Amino acid sequence: MGWIMTTWDSLPLILQLGIKIGFIVGPLIVAVAYYTLAERKVIAYMHVRVGPNRVGPRGLLQPIADVLKLMFKEMIIPSKSDKYLFLIAPVLAVTPAFAAWAVIPFSGTLVLADIDAGLLYVLALTSMSVYGVIIAGWASNSKYAFLGALRSAAQIVAYEIAMGFALVGVLMVAGSLNLNTIIQAQSGGLHQWFFLPLFPLFLVYLISGVAETNRAPFDVAEGESEIVAGFHVDYSGMGFAAFFLAEYANMLMISALTVILFLGGWNSPFDFPPFSWLPGVFWFLAKLSVVAFLFLWFRATFPRYRYDQIMRLGWKVFIPVTLIWIAVIGAFKFFTPFGFIFS
Amino acid sequence: MESILFYLFATVLVVSAAMVVTIRNPVKAALFLVLSFFSAACIWMTLEAEFLSIALVLVYVGAVMVLFLFVVMMLDIDVESMREGFARNLPVGALVAGVMVVEFAVVMMSDRFDSQSLPRPAGHGPDYSNTKELGLVLYTDYVFAFEVAGLILLVAIVAAIVLTMRRRPNTRYQSPSEQVKVNKSERLRIVSMPAEKRLDIDN
Amino acid sequence: MLANYLPVLLFLIVASGLGVVLLVAGKLLSPHRPNEQKLSPYECGFEAFEDNRMKFDVRYYLVAILFIIFDLEIAFLFPWAVALDDIGIFGFLAMMIFLLVLVAGFIYEWMKGALEWE
Repeated sequence: MGWIMTTWDSLPLILQLGIKIGFIVGPLIVAVAYYTLAERKVIAYMHVRVGPNRVGPRGLLQPIADVLKLMFKEMIIPSKSDKYLFLIAPVLAVTPAFAAWAVIPFSGTLVLADIDAGLLYVLALTSMSVYGVIIAGWASNSKYAFLGALRSAAQIVAYEIAMGFALVGVLMVAGSLNLNTIIQAQSGGLHQWFFLPLFPLFLVYLISGVAETNRAPFDVAEGESEIVAGFHVDYSGMGFAAFFLAEYANMLMISALTVILFLGGWNSPFDFPPFSWLPGVFWFLAKLSVVAFLFLWFRATFPRYRYDQIMRLGWKVFIPVTLIWIAVIGAFKFFTPFGFIFS
Repeated sequence: MESILFYLFATVLVVSAAMVVTIRNPVKAALFLVLSFFSAACIWMTLEAEFLSIALVLVYVGAVMVLFLFVVMMLDIDVESMREGFARNLPVGALVAGVMVVEFAVVMMSDRFDSQSLPRPAGHGPDYSNTKELGLVLYTDYVFAFEVAGLILLVAIVAAIVLTMRRRPNTRYQSPSEQVKVNKSERLRIVSMPAEKRLDIDN
Repeated sequence: MLANYLPVLLFLIVASGLGVVLLVAGKLLSPHRPNEQKLSPYECGFEAFEDNRMKFDVRYYLVAILFIIFDLEIAFLFPWAVALDDIGIFGFLAMMIFLLVLVAGFIYEWMKGALEWE
């Protein structure tokens, strides 16, 4: 083992970081590929079907077949589109979806960039993901794409506010923007996790997360029965694959953040053996899978919201709820003896 | 290392800012403005202004430029007709630009801004929290300016609504709470009617 | 502190590189046989009519402006929430006054029907 450490230390810093980044991005792409298979399987079983089962044993090679198919499909660039913007849009969608993973702590020590303003960085990158959508919709120069982009942009914008306010509640309790510090503030078992004192904010965050990623039941941006596929209707081949990759990477991202902010991150749910023997990475990934499963479950269960209902929920329900809860947390902290609930 | 990064970001910033004013397509101009904001944020980051740098991305790139894009995408600006007035407006434009350059030069060349009176901020350890430092002074020492900022935002809300709200009287709203609250007596009327007389078929 | 941001910068470069690689790979591996019908914008089988970039409801601008204002509010709330334990009751009340002013704006907006969507 020793020689591995010495060669590792002798590598230049840039190369070390590059290898670490590879160890995040590589598994993430595989996870996204199998998340799509999981989605099809889970929804199939919820519909009492079998789902994909032809490629490989029990359909386990299906994502690989999908990737190969998309690679060899022709990439059509519509004649009326703006060629450069049409090609830049998928890149702009993929970049923030992946770059946000730089600050995610997978365990107490397993984090690439332990920056102080981690949460702010994630929020800033999430706010940039709207560009891929708007530019794709505009560059395609098609009515469906354009309508989809508009709907999606207004929706993302409305729910980002609710999300930001929900994060403020977490910050008030944790007192830091650093993701690892936020997780450490939740150590000590299930009852210390923030989803209990911040329950309304937890719900707001989770639902806003579903809306931010344009997933069912908030998927009017794609709305296949109304505007076909929304902003990416004119994309094919790898251009389409890039949007797909970005969407699922974003879903996993939101799941990871929900786990970090409200469900204790890599902390084990019970602070005694055998639970505390298991490593933090295991707990983190296990919780992440549960939240990611919720995304699929929502899609199989809920009918699609109407657009005006979505906007009303974002502006008229979530924003007042979060504002009131912020005031409640502060009032409890300073004016009642029950401030310990929120610290 | 840091000066390499500075020159890199500064070059991107200047080039993209030049593209904003020279490129013909307004949507692309807006996107270059996004790129220049982003480079400016990177330069702030090299000065260790962590919070301001990310807030610049969050607010300007994530919010203000989205509005800009909405506007330039939907207004269908006719670039050709705007270029017609170029020669006519050139003298006035050049004058304004010249005045601005002179003003900048006067301010920047005064000794308030030279490197002796404004030294590079000292580096901080990895545990330094820029955000917290800001929070400690913003809501105590500068509380008045902070509340004034709140009032300015209130004015902005009111102004935006007054300027852009158009009531269209014939649109119909659906109010789910009203729909749920409806009870039987509002929608259904039971009328008691005398039973019809039986027709006597035999007759 | 800056050393912490080097991996972030690298990650941003890698992530955008990934997007470019995807598109280039697609371009190199896939066939390229364009024809006029294939390249026309998607229109459910109709001939394309009208300009596609239509003007749309002014409401979208209003939503975007309100979004900027609330986004700024969040930017103000973040350092406050982080420093809350140190700035104490004074800081808390300062923020409550700030929020009260903005809630007044929010109520005005609500009453005016700026949040209605039809």
